[in-house]
Amino acid sequence: MDVTPPQTLRELFTGFLAIGARSFGGVMPWAHRTMVEERRWLTQADFAETIGLCQFLPGPNIGNASIVLGKRWFGVRGSAVAFLGLMALPFFWVMALGILYLEWASNPVVRAVVTGVGATGAGLFIGTALKLGRAIVNRPAALVLVAACFLTVGVGRISMLIVLPVSAAIGIFFARRGWL
Amino acid sequence: MILLDLALTFGVLSLVAFGGMPAVMPEMQRLVVDVKGWTTAPEFIQLFAIAQAAPGPNVLIVSLIGWKAAGLWGSIVALLAVCAPAAVLAWWIADLWERFKESPWRVAIQRAIAPLVVGLILSGGYVLCTPAAGPDWRLWAIAAASCTAYLTLTVNPLWILAAGGTIGAFLL
Repeated sequence: MDVTPPQTLRELFTGFLAIGARSFGGVMPWAHRTMVEERRWLTQADFAETIGLCQFLPGPNIGNASIVLGKRWFGVRGSAVAFLGLMALPFFWVMALGILYLEWASNPVVRAVVTGVGATGAGLFIGTALKLGRAIVNRPAALVLVAACFLTVGVGRISMLIVLPVSAAIGIFFARRGWL
Repeated sequence: MILLDLALTFGVLSLVAFGGMPAVMPEMQRLVVDVKGWTTAPEFIQLFAIAQAAPGPNVLIVSLIGWKAAGLWGSIVALLAVCAPAAVLAWWIADLWERFKESPWRVAIQRAIAPLVVGLILSGGYVLCTPAAGPDWRLWAIAAASCTAYLTLTVNPLWILAAGGTIGAFLL
């Protein structure tokens, strides 16, 4: 698949604005759809690796991705533009919705709808993980790492401060042996 | 001063949030509710739900907490505080990352990270659907339907979310 990075700061800004503006229930599905599927700024593998790096780093993942990708394409101006584009509309919408919701929080139907949207967003998370997983599905060692991560962090609720260094060390060992 | 308190609290959270916001949510709840008293526990869950439901990064829950603690400036300070330390680190690491492009170690680290991120995103979805101590099959059913729709239909996910909210109104 041919990919073309954004050519202007304006293009970068509108791209991240589009991610932030539409990203109900979690940004990652929208970041993937906007940058990989619609605008074709990145390949699937490049996206997975960049998000992987940002997931590896502390802090909000998509915020870090805007910094890293903005820097890669336009330097410090790119980082600032991508970050502001990402946050500008969501900031105002979250504040507006928050103030509105606090007015209606006692209504059980409103509460049920909001919770249902939250669960749906979680489903989109899982869908994105499955899409990213297609690239590594034919490697057993990778699937072992996926399962180990899910069972410890997801089901076991073990701190990532413990799980990440251990699983990364195992992953690097696997990779050096050519299993990944 | 409360703005300084917000900046320091969320600045520290920024640097321990390995794996992003879902990973740091329990620690944030403890600090915001138990230590600082900026919101009550029921309020915290509501603010978290809004950050899920509204478009935008989930990190924006900190703006709602900042708003409750110190109004508009609180919301801006909290958001910048939770992003800035991590952004500086990401900036520095990304540079290092490019410099070692040909290094076999970089390739190994990249290959190692790809499966981890899949496992972590899966965990994020699972944890979001398990808010209480025990499993809630209704939330899991909604998430499973959403995931299936996302992978099989070519519709805008906004429609999937609208459908999930409607199901939630009847099911929850």
